[in-house]
Order: sequence, then structure tokens, then C-alpha cells
Amino acid sequence: MSFYECLKAFPEGAASASRMALAAKRLGYQGIITCNQEPHKLFRPDACEKIGGIEVILGTEVVASNPKVLRSRISALRPRYPFLMVRAGNEEMIRAACEDPNVDLLLHPCDIHRPLGIATARAARQNQVAIGFDLSPVLYLYGQKRSRWLEASRRNLLLARKFELLLIITMCASSHLDLRGPRDIMALAELAGFEPEEAKEALRRPGALVEQNRRNWLGPGVELL
Amino acid sequence: MRSRLPVLRTRRRYMAFELEAEGARTIQPKDLMDEIFAIQFSLFGESGAAANRIKLITFNGRRGLLRCHHQHLSDTRAVLAAICSIREWRVALHTKGVSGTIKAATEKYLPPLHEISGESDGRRIELVEISGCIIRTQGLEVDLCPDDRSKTKGSDTRYLGLTSFDLSGGHEHADGTADGL
Repeated sequence: MSFYECLKAFPEGAASASRMALAAKRLGYQGIITCNQEPHKLFRPDACEKIGGIEVILGTEVVASNPKVLRSRISALRPRYPFLMVRAGNEEMIRAACEDPNVDLLLHPCDIHRPLGIATARAARQNQVAIGFDLSPVLYLYGQKRSRWLEASRRNLLLARKFELLLIITMCASSHLDLRGPRDIMALAELAGFEPEEAKEALRRPGALVEQNRRNWLGPGVELL
Repeated sequence: MRSRLPVLRTRRRYMAFELEAEGARTIQPKDLMDEIFAIQFSLFGESGAAANRIKLITFNGRRGLLRCHHQHLSDTRAVLAAICSIREWRVALHTKGVSGTIKAATEKYLPPLHEISGESDGRRIELVEISGCIIRTQGLEVDLCPDDRSKTKGSDTRYLGLTSFDLSGGHEHADGTADGL
């Protein structure tokens, strides 16, 4: 069904990329995207090739201390990796990531005190930056904290629908025990306010983005065939 | 409570699931059920739990069958997916499929469990990046207890999940058996 999952593998996670690929293949994914902060330090990436029937894509997570550094790192990493993810913590970094068309996925912190802003949503729409919903807090938070997180994610989702943003849902797995099947993730996404079709489309989106990035674009709307 | 009228009887579905636990840990059915109820109450409250009365039909430590209401399949999936630890051991529950009868669910999704239980032979791995003791091997999967405990920091797991391909040192014919290791 061409579902893809973004995850972290050893040494940044607790399972190697090949173990993640093995678990994801069993769960019914078509591919996984490793989003380590230091992808060149990934443990035995060649072992993934021996796991047949699943595509393992080497992406990266861009981390920086300020927006200027973030922009320069993004432009440096873009030609080397087909998938760039930014996990932004504050408003400045969120705006910087949204305003850069080279970013594929912005993982927004679903915080009730820092909701997705209108200016951010507009910039994300203009630059075709997908907004990511990390569903792992449903697993790790409990009680009041989980209900606050669900409220924040529903609020962000309303704005994302209003501006017709590209959505991606992920578990951000750092171990093979964090991975869940696509239908289980869809069920969790429904708790966070997603419609079933919306959740299915959001799970397919990373694969579609990688496919687009692999094509040879000369400029906006111009492709070298 | 059983209704006298057949049309008022609740329609049930049987959900087969598989439990993956860290290391060679065996989970007791009672512990699993306690966790399922705790998550269900937390996510859907008491009225939600009353509308979808989940019952554990069978569980053999690895695979099991759960009964739920036919209109709350998605909720039941969410409950199973939201379980991440039982008695402080990391686990993952994966839904295998849903059926209308116990017989069909068992035949389709719960094949007889042939004993491929994990071997624990205490072999050590010494690589540049990692070193530690093998806790369990099952097929291609290898669970390794690292000497440096900070290797699993941030993921709440005790062991590192690897495959025999990772440990084979680039050997072309590594097949996940003792040769690969």
C-alpha cells in the first residue's frame, strides 16, 4: 500500500537500520526513511540491502542552534539526501524551516502554548513544506499531559486543513518496539483528530516526497528528462 | 447481559494480535489484560469502556485473540497500539486481523505456534561500534545487551535490536544462522 515511516536507527536509536527494516517489512510498510541527525554514522547501512522486499531510504534530520545556521545546513544537505526533516522547538526555527522550500518535513511540537500559527501555515503552504505529526506522545504520555497533547494536535490539524497543508504522520520510532502497523497508526491518528482517508494519505506522503526529490528538477516546474 | 431478542444482541468481532516483548520475556495474560484496561480507561473513559467491552479470549504469551464490539474496531486497535510497556518491560502489540467468529480468526490469523523460541547462548560480540552479550536470537533477529548502557538511552529499551546481517562483518552469505554470527 506504499506506506513509509520516518525513524531513527542505531546509534541514535536502539535498533539497527536492518532490524527496523525487518520489523517494518513484517508490518506491511513499503519503505522506511532513516532520519538520523548524523546519517554518515549510521551502523551498517549496507546490511539493509540484504533485507529484501523493503526500500530503505537514507534521509536526515537537520539540527541547528539558530535560523541562519539552519538555512545554511539545509542548503548544504539538500543535494546529498532525498529527504530532509526539521524538528523545530521554538517559533524562530519553525518559521525558518517553513520559509525554506528545501525542507520536506517540519515536525511541529504539539504544544498547547505554542500552536501552529497562521503565518507559519501560510509559509508552509507557499513553500510546500509538509507538517509532521509525531504520534509517539500517545504512547509515552499519560493522563492530563496526553489529553493536552491531543487537544493541541486537534487544534493544529484544524489550521492545517484550513490552509490545505501537506500532512505526514509518523511514530518517530527509535526502536523496533516503537514501530506500529499502518492500520494501527491510522487508529491512533483518528484519536488525534485525523479522518481515516486523511491519515492514509499522510502515511503515503513521505514516499511521494522522496519520489519527487529523486527527479532531476532544474527549477520550479521544470524537470530534466 | 444476554438479550432475549436476537436482534438486540451485540455484534462481536474477534481481533487477533501478536505481542513482541523485549528479550525473551514472557508476559502473563493477567498483566496484559490489566494494561489493556488501564489504556482503555485512559483513552476512552468509563463510558467508552462500557460501550466496547474488550475481553481476552486466548493468549499464549506471543499471540492472542481479543473480543470487542463491531463498531469499536478502530478504538480497539488504538488501545492495542498505545501499549508500550507491561510491568516496565518494553512490548509492542501488532494487530494481525479481525474476524466474526473465533474459529475463523484462529484458522486465519493464529497458526499453531511452532517452537522457535529465542535461544540464549551467552555469546559475546566485540565490534568497533558495539560490544555486549547476545540475549536472544530468533531467525534473523538478534537482541544484544550492550556493555555501554548509554547506547539505548532515549528509547527506554534494555537491549539493542540488531540482525545477523549487522554482525556478519559484511559476509556475503550470512543467512542469519550461526555462520552469519
